[in-house]
Amino acid sequence: MNVADLTLQADVAHWSWTIAIFLWFVGIAGMGSVAYYFSRKAPLAITILVSLIVGLLFVVSHLTRWWNLPVTIFYAVLELSFNFQSWMFWGFAILSVHLVLSAVVVVANIPYLQRFWFLRWAAVLNKSNLFLGLFAFAGFGSTVYSGFLLSTAAGVPLWNTALIPVLWVISASVATVALIELFYVLGWTDEREAAFGLRLGMGLDVMKLLAVLAFIHISLTVGTMGAQIGAARMFSGDLALMTWIGVIGIGIFVPLAIGGLSLLIGKKKPLLIVSSVAALAGVLFLRAVVLLAGVWEPLVI
Amino acid sequence: MRLRRGQEPTRRLAHVWNEANCTACGACIIACTATNAPEMMHRKEKGWDSLASNIRRIESQNAQGQPTMMLNQCQHCEDAPCVHTCPFGAVHYTTDGLVDIDERLCIGCSYCVAACPYNVRWMHPETGLPNKCMGSACLELVAANQQPACVQACPANARDFGDLNDPSSSVSQTLRRLPNRVLLETAGTKPKYFIVESSS
Repeated sequence: MNVADLTLQADVAHWSWTIAIFLWFVGIAGMGSVAYYFSRKAPLAITILVSLIVGLLFVVSHLTRWWNLPVTIFYAVLELSFNFQSWMFWGFAILSVHLVLSAVVVVANIPYLQRFWFLRWAAVLNKSNLFLGLFAFAGFGSTVYSGFLLSTAAGVPLWNTALIPVLWVISASVATVALIELFYVLGWTDEREAAFGLRLGMGLDVMKLLAVLAFIHISLTVGTMGAQIGAARMFSGDLALMTWIGVIGIGIFVPLAIGGLSLLIGKKKPLLIVSSVAALAGVLFLRAVVLLAGVWEPLVI
Repeated sequence: MRLRRGQEPTRRLAHVWNEANCTACGACIIACTATNAPEMMHRKEKGWDSLASNIRRIESQNAQGQPTMMLNQCQHCEDAPCVHTCPFGAVHYTTDGLVDIDERLCIGCSYCVAACPYNVRWMHPETGLPNKCMGSACLELVAANQQPACVQACPANARDFGDLNDPSSSVSQTLRRLPNRVLLETAGTKPKYFIVESSS
């Protein structure tokens, strides 16, 4: 069977850049919420909420029957037809909770809104470790969900691996660290956080490299034929440029090299900007290449 | 009718395609579209780059380089990934053992498209529904104790449809008598689309 016959189906499902961008924003918001537990800075809170909203707009734009969402929810509640086996159902639930908690955190971080007595409870919650722990948990859950969403899509064997949720968590953590470095350049966070982020980011980059290579290697060597076709497209096929230059070159080696240089000669803000943007782009490329490489199992051999 | 949790289907309706009898005329493919989605008769399905039908023709070559052809469609799996992944329960089993979609509960997320190992769904450009066999018009035919459009249209009797629970049904008899296979058996989906092999 011609591989093109399989990949054409991607046009049917539309699981390509739109979903990659959605997964990217969810990852930033998700692991950003974990970082917020430690950092508690307003720019991070606002970034989390904006990322979630923009990510959700992308995913809603991908629905071919988005107008039916209120009707669907009405009947699903009426008939209790929710499917608890579906990761997408859990995604709706987790993202809804995450969105509400993010809004609370943003309200607490905007001084103007704290003038209103009916919004002051948000500031109280924002000081509670329990609440922020719940926020971090919801964020972590969002990121994990975005991985299982692919892992459980049984039609695409490349995605059917437990490595994807792990890879998503690692790469979303890379994106969060990159954001914190950008905030440092903009003067929105302090030297101590930036220095910690630099070292953490380098460790995460190495883990991400290992996870990406493991993902390709396992799929290529012991995966089903569909998984092998997908991995081959990433490794040496039509998507190899995106893998080697986008994901690994720009997304991992550039931040690693700049991180190493910064440890030697000290942090230079222009270099930190390049490193952070490269890391963020690499995380997006990773999601896109995994999505685009997915093909169906050949039915005729 | 939707199968409720814990309920067993009363019938196990299944499709049989006899590849030895099939002349690849395409009548089943056209009959399917004409019956279930007549508005798509003169439009290509974007993803498959062919007529928007619930039956898909897959052409390939065997190891000897000879051309082969296979008709693919919804397998009405007894352990269907599309049912497991649909977030709001739109995709469901029926009491007849078929896999159907309740369009009130469908938001067009395409998760069922990505979850189907057989790659059989197509998105309707107007309704946004992930279409597949059986279309609503064929379901009405079956409810009226008639055969689906593809079976009625086949000039070579290469297609059959019936109840696997009924030992006297033509599909049960064919499957007992002739060697047959299912697609991607190792996927564990328990498909109910049987291919009677051409070597038989």
